[in-house]
Amino acid sequence: MPAVQETIDQVRQIDVDQYKYGFETTIEMEKAPKGLSEEIIRFISAKKNEPDWMLEWRLEAYRRWLTLEEPTWARVDYPKIDFNDLYYYAAPKNQSGPKSIDEVDPELLKMYEKLGIPLREQEILAGVQTSKIAVDAVFDSVSVVTTFKEELKKAGVIFMSISEAIREHPELVKKYLGTVVPTTDNYYATLNSAVFTDGSFVFVPKGVRCPMELSTYFRINEKNTGQFERTLIIAEDGAYVSYLEGCTAPQRDENQLHAAVVELVALDEAEIKYSTVQNWYPGDKEGKGGIYNFVTKRGDCRGKNSKISWTQVETGSAITWKYPSCILRGDGSRGEFYSIAVSNGYQQIDSGTKMIHLGKNTSSRIVSKGISAGFSNNTYRGQVSAHRKAENARNFTQCDSLLIGDKCGAHTVPYIEAKNATAHFEHEATTSKISEDQLFYCLQRGIPTEAAIALIVNGFVKEVIQELPMEFAVEAQKLIGISLEGSVG
Amino acid sequence: MNMQTGMKLSVAETALCEAYDHAIGELPGDGSVLAARDTLISDFKEAGLPTRRVEAWHYTDLKALLRAVPAFDPAASAAKTSPLVEGSTVLSVVNGLADARATVEGVTVRTFKDALADGTAAEGLAARDGDDAIGRINGSFVRDGFVLDVAAGTELEAPLEIQTVQNAGQTHTRFPVAFGAGAKGTIIERHTAVGETAAFVTSISDIALGDGADITWVILQTQGAADTHLGQIRITLGADAQLRLYVINAGGKLVRQEIHVVVAGEGTDLKLRGINLLGGETHNDVTFTVGHDVPNTTSTEVIRNVIFDRARGVFQGQIRVAPDAQKTDAKMSCNTLLLSDEADFSAKPELEIFADDVQCGHGATVIDIDHVQLFYLMARGIPENKARAMLVNAFVAEIVEELEDEPLVEALEGVIAAWLEKHA
Repeated sequence: MPAVQETIDQVRQIDVDQYKYGFETTIEMEKAPKGLSEEIIRFISAKKNEPDWMLEWRLEAYRRWLTLEEPTWARVDYPKIDFNDLYYYAAPKNQSGPKSIDEVDPELLKMYEKLGIPLREQEILAGVQTSKIAVDAVFDSVSVVTTFKEELKKAGVIFMSISEAIREHPELVKKYLGTVVPTTDNYYATLNSAVFTDGSFVFVPKGVRCPMELSTYFRINEKNTGQFERTLIIAEDGAYVSYLEGCTAPQRDENQLHAAVVELVALDEAEIKYSTVQNWYPGDKEGKGGIYNFVTKRGDCRGKNSKISWTQVETGSAITWKYPSCILRGDGSRGEFYSIAVSNGYQQIDSGTKMIHLGKNTSSRIVSKGISAGFSNNTYRGQVSAHRKAENARNFTQCDSLLIGDKCGAHTVPYIEAKNATAHFEHEATTSKISEDQLFYCLQRGIPTEAAIALIVNGFVKEVIQELPMEFAVEAQKLIGISLEGSVG
Repeated sequence: MNMQTGMKLSVAETALCEAYDHAIGELPGDGSVLAARDTLISDFKEAGLPTRRVEAWHYTDLKALLRAVPAFDPAASAAKTSPLVEGSTVLSVVNGLADARATVEGVTVRTFKDALADGTAAEGLAARDGDDAIGRINGSFVRDGFVLDVAAGTELEAPLEIQTVQNAGQTHTRFPVAFGAGAKGTIIERHTAVGETAAFVTSISDIALGDGADITWVILQTQGAADTHLGQIRITLGADAQLRLYVINAGGKLVRQEIHVVVAGEGTDLKLRGINLLGGETHNDVTFTVGHDVPNTTSTEVIRNVIFDRARGVFQGQIRVAPDAQKTDAKMSCNTLLLSDEADFSAKPELEIFADDVQCGHGATVIDIDHVQLFYLMARGIPENKARAMLVNAFVAEIVEELEDEPLVEALEGVIAAWLEKHA
């Protein structure tokens, strides 16, 4: 059965030429000279008033990076990147750390308003329905504002840009930075370690349940810049935090590089929930322009019974190369990965997850839904492994693909590795259109065709959508153009 | 001869290169055959044995695993063995030499040695692609085998058994088999060994099914505990052809079975069933690719692995659906019983889909014996080891039973039972 009209329309709504966030903000910027060298790294480090150990850390990563080769194993195809033709640092001028929102450049505020991101705390309070969200807004290379800082401080939660954290909480940064994704990890992570300019830092102390959702909005604005942000989230014993990130960029003809690193550390009984709505500029109809999204995200369930959950809705970027992973080190720890990846136009997605079971009685769950349309290619690549001592490791994986049109491709490449007899792995993958059996079942129960189709399509992605925090779920649904209200009933 | 500069030669690589220099004078074929062999060995010298870095060999690092290659051993003796199913016609290759005396109505039999000698084999010697280590090694050294031509409409009354019996040394065989339109029958390809000394066997079957052919092909590999077996089955399916392909591994120390299927005609149906019984120190890799290149075809693959001791099991399966191959229905499942904490199993079931109106899926599970089932049997007075053996047997036997050919089912069940008796 061919893909139904409704699905086609819904995907069409987010087709590449419908990109809504492609505008550019004119704002005076301060940039480092183009190119990459030790001088540039020293420049970035000096700009951020970093301590010496941080500079050394960066330089070591840079020297390491010079010896590495770009990975080529992913199913993505792009012209060679000239790493010396990029700006590694771009910051809005007059930005010497605003004390309050009123000191932030009005142009910037206007831009965030356009993106629909509330930076003014009172605006959030005015919305009766929504709960509070603390926002850290990263514009090109720097964090421009972080909201609700005071309130979070009362609860003992540290939420600030990583640059601030390096200055204000060096002991914490030193203790955890690079312990999940070492500087030697992979080509892009090593590059990031050398040149990262900003990102968010979250520390939730022992026993604290973070009182609100934390959120970061990343915006690439400047031409020819690469964005390299670094996020570090630590949840101490028994702590809980839910963190969201959103990403957009202007419409440009040239490709831009985004190579981020995200590290999560969950100690005993801690839980971290990390959600992403990735909507970087995907390029135009002909596949020109768009963001190269080469990201390393990894969570370390270091403590016993800890839990890390990744949820991602991926609709943007010309090329996506990311595998949010969980290292299940603590006994009884749990990892989850929920993903919806929609590719259109000439987008290329090679994404998935890794669940590395090291501790006893660890469990993981993977639910991945890919929708490919246009001329795009959408690959799920995942690894599940249980080591010798990972007694009673459990995994359930489900990855489903839906194809719309005959010029696109959907691929599944799972790696399943069991090294002890008590491991229990189940993996399922399907590629199809909407099943006629399901449709027939609905029709037979008196549900009209249109409603039945909507029901099934929503069912296809629902498992993932429902994992998102409320506020983001709404956004994600808009993004995918699938309205749950219209379909049920 | 010099290898690529900078690459360190493993013992096995050196042995193969030297063996070629020694053997080339007496290997059958000249002209185009010799040219093809030279290309293959020089490509092999360039690339060496594949390592984990070669994606097609991700879980079988042949360079590390193939420690040594025994030299040709003309002194070792072996004899053909009685067929798996009574009444079968037997075509045997004993220590590398084919005996083509058997005759079957409707089937033209030639030795591959003759095809090499007259140059007709040259074309088929080329490797499949740049990662085809088995194709390179086999093509360089192949000495004998059978070329079978099954005439259109032929219905084989009894199974035709192609057997290789090896005692030490090395052997490289090839079996190009063409089934004419509407041909029907059962072929058993059996690789066995005698003696305890390590043997090195490579074998390639090149199978073409004409339109409407209906064939059951069973590969049974029961070589010795020290042996290496590198097998490859290349298959092309014509329109409306039906193939039931059984691949059963119950022997060998280092085993790789590659199955590559090209679905070239509409209306075809492929059923692949695999049983891998692994114990001791065996490393067993089954790698399967199927390309659905035309619309309206179906394939199902069911692989069952039972792994004891320190054995390592690997399954790589790839379903490809070409852009115009609408209405493809392909399903693959791989189930593994991992019965030892020192054993391991790795799987990579891939889908590569370019058509939108298809149904494709794969499933993979890795589990231990179900303790509830075990308890059920033990509560009825069946001792634990026996209960376990029953459950393991049931896990693989249901695949065999799908073959609705009683003597064949019984023979295969016998092989499985004998193996389990020894290992469980």
